Amino acid sequence: MKDAPILRSYAVLYLIFLYGPIIILPMFAFNDNTIVSFPLKGFTTKWFAEMWSDPNLRIALQNSLIIALSTATLSTVLGIFAARASVRYKWPGKTAVVGLIMVPLVLPEMIVAMALLVVLLSIGVPLSIFTIIMGHVLICMPFAVAILTSAFQSLDRSLEEAALDLGEDAWSTFRLIVLPLVMPGIMASFLITFTISIDEFIIANFLGSGKPILSVYIFGQFRFPAKVPAMLALGTLLVAFSIILLTIAEYFRRRGVAKTGGKNSGGFL
Amino acid sequence: MAQSQSSEAKTGYMLVAPPLLYAVLLLAAPLATVLIYSVLTGENGAVSLPMTTENFTTVWTGRVYQAIMARSLYVSMLVTLTTVLLAYPIAYFVSFHVRPERKALWLFLITIPFWTSYIIRVALWRTILGYNGIIDSTLIGLGVTSEPLNILSYGVVSIIITLAHAYAPFAVLPIFVSLEKVDRALLEAGQDLGESRWTTFLRVTLPLSMPGVIAAVLIVFIPTVGDYVTPELIGGGKVPMIANMIEIEMLKKRDQAMGSAIAVTAMSIVAIVSILFVLLNKRFIGGTK
Amino acid sequence: MTFSEDKPVMIEFRDVHKYYGDYHALRGIDGTIKAGEFFSLLGPSGCGKTTLLRTIAGFEGISSGVIMIDDRNMAGVPANVRPTNMVFQSYAIFPHMSVAENVGFGLRRDPRTKAEKAAAVEEMLAMVGLTGYGDRAAHELSGGQRQRVALARALILKPKVLLLDEPLSALDKKMREHMQVELIKLQRQVGITFILVTHDQEEALVMSDRIAVMFEGGIAQLADPETLYRRPNSKQVAEFIGTMNFVPATILSEVGGKVEIEAKGLGKVTLDETQSPPPRGEEPVVGLRPETLTLLFPGQTTSERKVDGLIDEVIYFGDMTYYDVYLGGTDVEVRLSMRNVPGRPILDVGTRVEVAWSPEALVLFR
Repeated sequence: MKDAPILRSYAVLYLIFLYGPIIILPMFAFNDNTIVSFPLKGFTTKWFAEMWSDPNLRIALQNSLIIALSTATLSTVLGIFAARASVRYKWPGKTAVVGLIMVPLVLPEMIVAMALLVVLLSIGVPLSIFTIIMGHVLICMPFAVAILTSAFQSLDRSLEEAALDLGEDAWSTFRLIVLPLVMPGIMASFLITFTISIDEFIIANFLGSGKPILSVYIFGQFRFPAKVPAMLALGTLLVAFSIILLTIAEYFRRRGVAKTGGKNSGGFL
Repeated sequence: MAQSQSSEAKTGYMLVAPPLLYAVLLLAAPLATVLIYSVLTGENGAVSLPMTTENFTTVWTGRVYQAIMARSLYVSMLVTLTTVLLAYPIAYFVSFHVRPERKALWLFLITIPFWTSYIIRVALWRTILGYNGIIDSTLIGLGVTSEPLNILSYGVVSIIITLAHAYAPFAVLPIFVSLEKVDRALLEAGQDLGESRWTTFLRVTLPLSMPGVIAAVLIVFIPTVGDYVTPELIGGGKVPMIANMIEIEMLKKRDQAMGSAIAVTAMSIVAIVSILFVLLNKRFIGGTK
Repeated sequence: MTFSEDKPVMIEFRDVHKYYGDYHALRGIDGTIKAGEFFSLLGPSGCGKTTLLRTIAGFEGISSGVIMIDDRNMAGVPANVRPTNMVFQSYAIFPHMSVAENVGFGLRRDPRTKAEKAAAVEEMLAMVGLTGYGDRAAHELSGGQRQRVALARALILKPKVLLLDEPLSALDKKMREHMQVELIKLQRQVGITFILVTHDQEEALVMSDRIAVMFEGGIAQLADPETLYRRPNSKQVAEFIGTMNFVPATILSEVGGKVEIEAKGLGKVTLDETQSPPPRGEEPVVGLRPETLTLLFPGQTTSERKVDGLIDEVIYFGDMTYYDVYLGGTDVEVRLSMRNVPGRPILDVGTRVEVAWSPEALVLFR
């Protein structure tokens, strides 16, 4: 590899730009000053205590966890169906059907949210956590399908035939061969859809019943300058949590790659 | 497993039925509803006949609507341009100047910020760019300036910074993928034929990576044109964009027909821009053959 | 090569057709494969050989016709209950299982005890020369070892027929030649019918008792290797297997199976019925293999017929030299191969030589 000092320094600057806000987050979460500005005043953990003392946060967290777990499960299961159908079987109209499922990727979220809202209101479905889950599954499914499709594609078709040939039926082949081999993809899909759901704001905001949801709660709190340090504390925890989840996901992905003896290349998406 | 084609198709349909049904009921049907609502008359949270094109006339000719849509397009195009321009050198660096076994690590590093809370990242920029925020206090502390710059008050600039940051990995990844596909032997051939590294880049690498650039443009443009959070948090509601306008019509004015008309217009804008870029992409692929 | 003749029939094809949509992949396959036979399906890619193998395994249904295995009609019998097992081109070793788990995979529904199954796995591993490899992870194996695992895994179920889909194509040349011999030995040892799909004519000739040469969805010739090589029944088969010179010919007379011809540059020859496969309405040519022609070095004589020649090209191959020679002052050029033995010179381009040939080596295609 040729050395490229200018590109290399640009790359470092770019990473600083990317990570700057994330590094600032814990800096001010532990800073003993209500106003978020330099110079730093002193170390404190009081913002974490203040953050946790708000009962609304705990409700929001609980609601968000319910939503994210349900969303991740549902969208991954639906994703398995769609990915398996599109990779393994030939059927007319595949492009159109998969295209429809993937549409939320290229549709501004606001439009998805409003379209759903209009229909829900007109047929009289009360807004609740369930309506949020409905919306989240819709926008998470394309990600699940994309990840799982590549997982199913990397599966050698003759492995399934070998299992059939050795006396297994279609279902036991799926259970003994297909499922274990796409498991890293399933894990990755679960974690990524979970993260998207926890993070999502627009649907949570407009399809919710006003019950506190984590992202909506954070959005609201940031409007009050006095609440900002506590939100930075919460943000620090969330970022730490995301990075742990991602590292686990990456670990599973690499283990999946190593297990099948493949070469490790690329990352998410 | 004597699978005839029809039984294979049947299995395929059975498998895809649950996700398809979901998408039809919760996506296709609502979008169709919005389409129908957009040509009805809306009042007090309900719609009624007769059919009319008045909503669209209002959206397309009303000065406020025009201004907001123009601004949405302008802002998201600036964001897209900035993001893609900033991302290209990084993608190039990782693809051409990072050892193969380290590439995954670099991509991982670039994608991590994307998976941290979007709301928090946006809100952070507010505290960084805001009046007496981190940039102001740093600059004053360093004696560069004595007055707070309050970059946040320049709505559009702060929106661009925030969104360019938020969508960085989306832009880097597709460009990286297309650069990885560039045959290294072609570049050596170019230099072998006496071209400088720069002209080789312009004549070989850049055209070959255009599909990735165009994918990056679309991936950044589509969500930014419909972004809601950033104009609210960063622009402080002073720089409303299409999404905020839809909210106002749908929920504050309770005019679902007008809201639908704006949504349909926004979808059309996205579709037209996407098709333009996809056509551009086709021309590029055709041209490099 | 009468090995197969007295054996009972293991597989029988009766007018088997297979369509993929409009594409006619198998066009009326007829024929039998005998029990205990090493049988090869040989042909270029796209000729239908793999499709035919997969219809035996049950991975592909057939559009019409009958496939019988061991006197049982296979219509509607799924792959998992057919008395066949397969070694896949990619080996299809389950990557998430150890070698022993792979080999023992087919025993999952076997009523035997765990210990008995483990013993069976060990026995199979020993048979393919992988004793002690049971605990290895599948991806730690080399190509040749994967091949052996795939063999052991398929053979542990004691199938009536073992199907091998281009099993050696992923190996390098040395390993391939080694495995060819191993496979032959293994087949003799277990006595099971082996059906090998290959596009490599040399491999088919080396390994098989009988070979079906396939082109465009049909069997062009089904014969033992020697017949296939010496008496191909069409120009297409002759060209596909080894190298064949073609010399234009005119038919002079035909009496009771004997055909008298005039071959350009060679003269009049009388051929018997084995040298004259059924006519196909083509321009008549006679084919002869390079090694059936001999250059006569100065002082050498021959009891065979001979013809004058002019060397046009010399290709040195180490153990052999190929000469392209114009025959009898005509524009007919043939290639002949000579072993390079000590004291035998390599002749130059332009040398006038005599070429010995035997009428018995000719085959007429018309």
